[in-house]
Amino acid sequence: MLHIKCPHCGLRSQNEFSYGGDATIKRPELNKEISDKDWDNFVYLRKSPRGKHLELWQHISGCRQWIKVERDTLTHEILKTLKANEEI
Amino acid sequence: MKSISSLENIYINGKFGNYEKKNENEIIKIKEIKNIFICQIVKFKNSFFDTKNLKIDNLNLPSNLKCTFNSSTRILWMGPENYLVTSNKLELLKDILREFNENDFAVTELSHSRTIIEIEGTNVNEVIKKGSPVNINDLKEGDCFNTIYHGIAITVDFLKDNPKKARIFSLRSFGQSFYHSITDSSLEYGYIVE
Repeated sequence: MLHIKCPHCGLRSQNEFSYGGDATIKRPELNKEISDKDWDNFVYLRKSPRGKHLELWQHISGCRQWIKVERDTLTHEILKTLKANEEI
Repeated sequence: MKSISSLENIYINGKFGNYEKKNENEIIKIKEIKNIFICQIVKFKNSFFDTKNLKIDNLNLPSNLKCTFNSSTRILWMGPENYLVTSNKLELLKDILREFNENDFAVTELSHSRTIIEIEGTNVNEVIKKGSPVNINDLKEGDCFNTIYHGIAITVDFLKDNPKKARIFSLRSFGQSFYHSITDSSLEYGYIVE
């Protein structure tokens, strides 16, 4: 079982969390012209790295906050966790 | 609505499970808590209001994973700037609305929407461990946390250390299922429904 250290609640089981996708994706700026291709890339295109990956998780059965988790997709090691508004 | 228990049809007083030849503290005591005031307070994300000096029934708001309490009221930490207030004072809502203005806080009365089960005994931790992944060994009186119990979202509030006493909140609609989960887990130690 994976254990994730929630920045608000401490070390908890992965059962309490819900995966929320890639945390490195930035939404295109508001009110700025954007091509269909760029928008399509933002909505659908995701990398699938083998190794370190910054992800969003929600502590859905705990404090219900979104957090950032740096995880190794090869070993499932959790390297770092951050609050949603913090940068790595 | 408030006065009708969600466990009305399944709650039977008596002794059950493996209770023979055990001392009183070893047996789990199970009790439903009814007719108390429950209210959720959440500070808006875009609010800069300082919550340090806010008080409810003379209690400060708790820090992470803690609970502040007096003889009638308990304030539980549910998440950052998110609190659950329970109280025997059914009129507390008026005081809360006076203290927490509606531009900075969402105050929601939840008295009708939770099932609360209180369990007491030396084996309380073991009962919780059977359905929940959280590490509760180090938790003590005044601690509270949200977790899951056999897939049901619950809030646990530790009331007392010796013997261990905990109040567990679930959504009212999961109440019966949750009650069965708790009683099934308690069979091994024997339990008394009061």
